[in-house]
Amino acid sequence: MLKTDFLGMKLDNPVMIAAGPWNRDGKGIKESIEAGAGAVVTESIVSDTLLDVRPRISCDDKGAQNIRLYSDIQIEGWEREMDIAKSAGGVVIASVSGHTASEVAYLASKLEKFGADAIELSVSNPAVESLEVVASHADVVYEMTKEIVTAVKIPVIAKLSQNTTNISKVAKAVKDAGGSGVTAINTVRGILGVDIENAAPMLSTYGGISGEYIRPLGLASVATIAQTVDIPICGVGGISEYKHALEYIMLGASAVQVGTAVMLEGREVIRKIVQDLEIWAQNHHISTLSELRGKALENLKSFEEMKFEPAVSHSSGVPCGENCSKCISACMYQAISRKGGQISVDRTRCTGCGLCTFICPANMLKLDL
Amino acid sequence: MNIKQIAEKAGVSVATVSRVLNHPESVAVKTREKIQKIIDEEEYTPNWFAQGLNFNKTKTIGLVIPHTLNSTYMEIANGVEEVARQKGYITFMCNMEGNPELEKEYIDQLVNRKVDGIILLYSLGLDDEYTEWIDELDMPVVTIGESKIKADWDSVKVDNRAAMAEITSYMLECGHRRIGVLRGTDPEAETMYMLQGFRNVMKASGIRVEEKMIFDVGDNIEGGYIGMKKMIGVLPKLPDAVITTGDEIAYGAMDAIKEMGYRIPEDIAITGFGNDRMSTLVEPKLTTVELPYRKMGIYGARVLFDHIEEKEQKKKHVTRSIKLQAKSRIRKSCGHEGRIGEMF
Repeated sequence: MLKTDFLGMKLDNPVMIAAGPWNRDGKGIKESIEAGAGAVVTESIVSDTLLDVRPRISCDDKGAQNIRLYSDIQIEGWEREMDIAKSAGGVVIASVSGHTASEVAYLASKLEKFGADAIELSVSNPAVESLEVVASHADVVYEMTKEIVTAVKIPVIAKLSQNTTNISKVAKAVKDAGGSGVTAINTVRGILGVDIENAAPMLSTYGGISGEYIRPLGLASVATIAQTVDIPICGVGGISEYKHALEYIMLGASAVQVGTAVMLEGREVIRKIVQDLEIWAQNHHISTLSELRGKALENLKSFEEMKFEPAVSHSSGVPCGENCSKCISACMYQAISRKGGQISVDRTRCTGCGLCTFICPANMLKLDL
Repeated sequence: MNIKQIAEKAGVSVATVSRVLNHPESVAVKTREKIQKIIDEEEYTPNWFAQGLNFNKTKTIGLVIPHTLNSTYMEIANGVEEVARQKGYITFMCNMEGNPELEKEYIDQLVNRKVDGIILLYSLGLDDEYTEWIDELDMPVVTIGESKIKADWDSVKVDNRAAMAEITSYMLECGHRRIGVLRGTDPEAETMYMLQGFRNVMKASGIRVEEKMIFDVGDNIEGGYIGMKKMIGVLPKLPDAVITTGDEIAYGAMDAIKEMGYRIPEDIAITGFGNDRMSTLVEPKLTTVELPYRKMGIYGARVLFDHIEEKEQKKKHVTRSIKLQAKSRIRKSCGHEGRIGEMF
């Protein structure tokens, strides 16, 4: 039921483990495969290994920040690692990163030879180069993708960044260059927080933010690409449970990747997501997940298409048992009041903003005509 | 212990052990791991000389460098050697002392010693007759850096023209108009491209390049020092800025500027090329171009071994040309305003 065809690769399920240090070598990748991932993306492989910054990863309860996580194994060593990675089967996507087209194409052609099933071009790491990630330049992404596509026969995917003004333009460049798909999105440039007692940021330089913080950005990017460019998408950003995976799929993703949740909770999170997806699909009589792909896009309009309906908030009429006044304090139009146990909405004051319907812990308020 | 004893201990044929050593990818993982374990335990090393007789391979490569005094060549050599070592090769390094005749002599010697391939660093230029001779020998050769060689050999290059163009544009953005150049000649082809990059940007910006502001100097601190003194001496008015083709030249020039009582960058702004370690230690810190030296060496060796392996497996060789990126390092010496440029 979860079997997925992604760019011609037959995956047992659409949940992949994203590029990162958990897939830093053959052993790690093998463990990721054994945890039940549909496919596994290697940590990004670069032309020359670099010294790691210490410390380089911080986190809080909503996500993480990292500084440059690249493979510390040279391309020569990946022949051995890919062998180990694939010794028990499974689909392995090799992530490559570099500054020039010929560099990434060289790495890609080697990794194809070593047995990679696809290439993911990583040009969107916000922590390394400068204020501008490579993925914000559609022309450079085009050039790199094209040179890789010329060098290899396996599918080529470009991992895109939210750090660009128009992600569709970059996705289009990937398609025009002959790329098979895109992954969206990479981490987003940020600072996780500041220790105010010591006036010190949590990490000593800017980094890539991942986890829950970026899920809304990832969802919007995937939806935007799905609505504007005809190219298969792998959704990534803040997925830690099956619902998130379904959100991405319903907004147009064919597959998804999980990174930060694996880092913070371990690979077992993958097994759980896959199991829960299966149960959900069963309960909803879904025979294949592709039925769901893009389903929510039908309900996602552009601003121009929005209808201006005179909807206002409306209380369910049942006495409110919640001991709170969240709706009253949040109503910026002073339309909500409480009389004893009863919440009432002044329909002449309500402007239909909808905030109360989301803030009510008991779901007592609805918007209607 | 010899290969036969290893084979006996592992309960496999000599051919299988040989394949583990030479084409490990052709042996099943389990078998390979088992044999490798015995090889490691017995600390067995193959007799390379005998191997050379068997496979016509000596597991050696040659690396011809312009000279040993320039530390950047050592960084490139370091990259070459790292890959070579991983491949089980040793590297013969030959220093041609800036002499084209010596370059050929060394290549002859390397060929005589039956190296499996040769890397030429900033070759001083080999004539067509010579390169054709190398091709007839079927000797894999890679050139690193610009050279005048016309042969269809694998190459690793950095776009120095674009790098210098970027630095020149940046100087113009900083408001400098009268820009002098201290041009070294090592390696000659590279600095020629750098000068072209400079001229292209000046022309595109409608600024006339004054030829008397371009000085050929020695490629070291002394060269920069003397060149800078000469420039200030002959020009009726101080230049706004000076662009150099090497960090060492820039250090020498900075010394001269300070000694003559001028300030950097207020009176004269300056840039280097190469981003060596000292560039952040001088005062003010030097704006320069970072070149991926080690990576140039690493890729030089990678494409050489690709060619050697193709030859060994009798596969068709496709010429590879790897282009790497240089990167501007904007620091105080060019007279930019604000900190942001220094960081990003």
